Amino acid sequence: MLFLAMRSVRKRPGRFLATLLSAFLGAVIIMTFSSLHDTAAAPGVDEVSAESMTVSASVVGGYGSLLVFFAIASTLTVDVRRRAEEIHLLRCTGATPGQITRMVVGESAVVALAGAVLAIGPAVLGGRLLLDLFKDSGQVAADVAPAFGAMALGSGFGIAVLASVGAAFLAVRRATRPAAGTRGPSLGRGRTLAGCAALAAGAGGVLTTYAVDSTEEMLMAFPAYGAVLLSVGFAVLAPSLLGRLLHLLRGPLAATGGAGGYLSARNLHRRGAELAGVLMPMILFIGMATATLYIQGVESDWAAASGLDKTVDAKNVETLNLVVVGIIVVFSCIMLVNSLYAATSYRSREFGQQRLAGATPGQVLGVVGWEAVILTLTGVVLGTAAGIAGIIPFTMVRTDHVLPGQGPATWLVIIALATAATLGTSLGTARRTLRTPAVDAVTAAA
Amino acid sequence: MCSSAPVRSVVDVAQGAPDEQRVMTMFDRKRQPAGRTAEALRLVSVSKVYGTGDSAVTALDGVTLSLPAGSFTAVMGPSGSGKSTLLQCAAGLDRPDRGQILVDGEEMSGGSEAALTKFRRDRIGFIFQQYNLLPTLTVEENTALPLRLAGRKADRAAIRTVLTQVGLGERLGHLPDELSGGQRQRVAIARALVTRPGVIFADEPTGALDTRSARDVLSLLKETVRLHGSTVVLVTHDPVAASYADSVLFLADGRLAGHLPAPTAEAVAERMTHLGDRAVHSPLTEV
Repeated sequence: MLFLAMRSVRKRPGRFLATLLSAFLGAVIIMTFSSLHDTAAAPGVDEVSAESMTVSASVVGGYGSLLVFFAIASTLTVDVRRRAEEIHLLRCTGATPGQITRMVVGESAVVALAGAVLAIGPAVLGGRLLLDLFKDSGQVAADVAPAFGAMALGSGFGIAVLASVGAAFLAVRRATRPAAGTRGPSLGRGRTLAGCAALAAGAGGVLTTYAVDSTEEMLMAFPAYGAVLLSVGFAVLAPSLLGRLLHLLRGPLAATGGAGGYLSARNLHRRGAELAGVLMPMILFIGMATATLYIQGVESDWAAASGLDKTVDAKNVETLNLVVVGIIVVFSCIMLVNSLYAATSYRSREFGQQRLAGATPGQVLGVVGWEAVILTLTGVVLGTAAGIAGIIPFTMVRTDHVLPGQGPATWLVIIALATAATLGTSLGTARRTLRTPAVDAVTAAA
Repeated sequence: MCSSAPVRSVVDVAQGAPDEQRVMTMFDRKRQPAGRTAEALRLVSVSKVYGTGDSAVTALDGVTLSLPAGSFTAVMGPSGSGKSTLLQCAAGLDRPDRGQILVDGEEMSGGSEAALTKFRRDRIGFIFQQYNLLPTLTVEENTALPLRLAGRKADRAAIRTVLTQVGLGERLGHLPDELSGGQRQRVAIARALVTRPGVIFADEPTGALDTRSARDVLSLLKETVRLHGSTVVLVTHDPVAASYADSVLFLADGRLAGHLPAPTAEAVAERMTHLGDRAVHSPLTEV
């Protein structure tokens, strides 16, 4: 089966592009931050420099890894699902579920390894740039030499491969089950349990913030971890909640959105599991961007007010921190676009069926547009909730206030970005798939 | 080449006396909706070439035919004979390079996909081998979809009547995944009927079904012609399926190659063997 895995990766690399991209970007980010650990551990680095780097690597590298883990996992889930047809074909030609699992998991491991290998070069470069920023801000001594070693490679490869293989295993198990006719109610219960567990862990992370000393440098780690886990929990649980809401809304939606609104309400209502794959990067993006940008803002204000950074150039520290957080935000935005692209392009067959049933291209785009709007609204509500859940404890512990003093401008920009990315990617991709004649779209093996 | 003479004769036969007689009786029974012409489908010198240069393949080579309203016609031919292309061009899913296509007396324009879709909506129904039902819609919703897309009011009672007629009155709320292949195909038939189209195209509708379900589906199609006065064009490679039709048109190398009224499975199979020979041999003789 590994032979089959290698063959399908080699012959059709395009299909794995989404997974490869997420593994690559994820590994670059993890390796870049983890290389700070390697640099700090090198002999002859003074204590202050080592500590600055270790704190940054642990905080951002820590929640960043968690974010990367779920981002890779959600892309992979979408990728495996779009291959349901092929998996079905393999079953028909006599492959056992075990063989199919080995094939898909093997492929994912190969792609993740490839992504991680490709990531080494950019990560070495990124690590150096990051170190230079630290040096510019005066937090690290100028004579510290960049290093790239076991920590960077270990965590980069470890997380990319673990996330891919784990997600592939779960997704393929889901894909082979219905075909075997053993689909049971336990599937829904497992989802709910996993979602609740993520929410509980997230709430735990957020609440831990209160137990930490208010001047602790690592304080930011806890609400950030919490926000990631809450986002994941929301993404897993959202489809069933959304399903119920949509059941009530489908009348009004059909009334306002015509045939497009009608179809999108039904689509969203009946394909909860597939929705979670797209909602995950959406909620992660909004949640992470909101949480980290506001927390960083509070942190900078606090640092400036308490005069801790008198010794170094405060402006540079702020720049450094914003760059660090910016990397995370940009990453989650790219993942959002990536997953949406993968999820929309594999619906070519479904769009073909709609067109054969009498839908004009405009009506198909209407369906996609309405879905994107509903998804964005869900993402905004839940992502903001996850973000605020991280911001409030941090602000309360770090300062005397409950809410940060920056105002809603940052949040509005995040929302605008999420909306533009979602609508742009969905509609753009759908438009491209519409170029294929409807008859070919329904017969082409997904 | 062996073709221009048979083409003429086929057209003559297709427009010939027996069919006209049947059309007259259809009108006498007042089963045709008002304003509908006696000719449901007309193709005039329709040609289609795929690819360019050396790799160009002529899928349709000047096909001319006419099908009266209320007829049930099977189109048969070996693989690569152009029957799928014929169906797709006639149904407005693909555009011919040359020639004219008239459905219900109206010419299909070569406009945008949206324009073609709107043309198809009111005049053409489809039944596919792979059903092509939307997996997220129930039986009832799938059946009503063409009406909804056309912005027409879906009359629940009418939808239920059609579904009851195809034997699915008890399964209105089921999703396609919960139905057998035969049941799914019957939903597809109901969906094709619901807009009262001038022509229904069925592309290998029994290709994915077991013998028993296939028989049910074919009988249902036949009944549809009789009860609703629909015009059905059935594309198939199965002589048994073709024998349910009133007449069979044979296609070889993109041209009409024969006509068989009141077909039996044996007669169709016999003709097909003959056609198959020719289809295989003609490229060799050219070399």
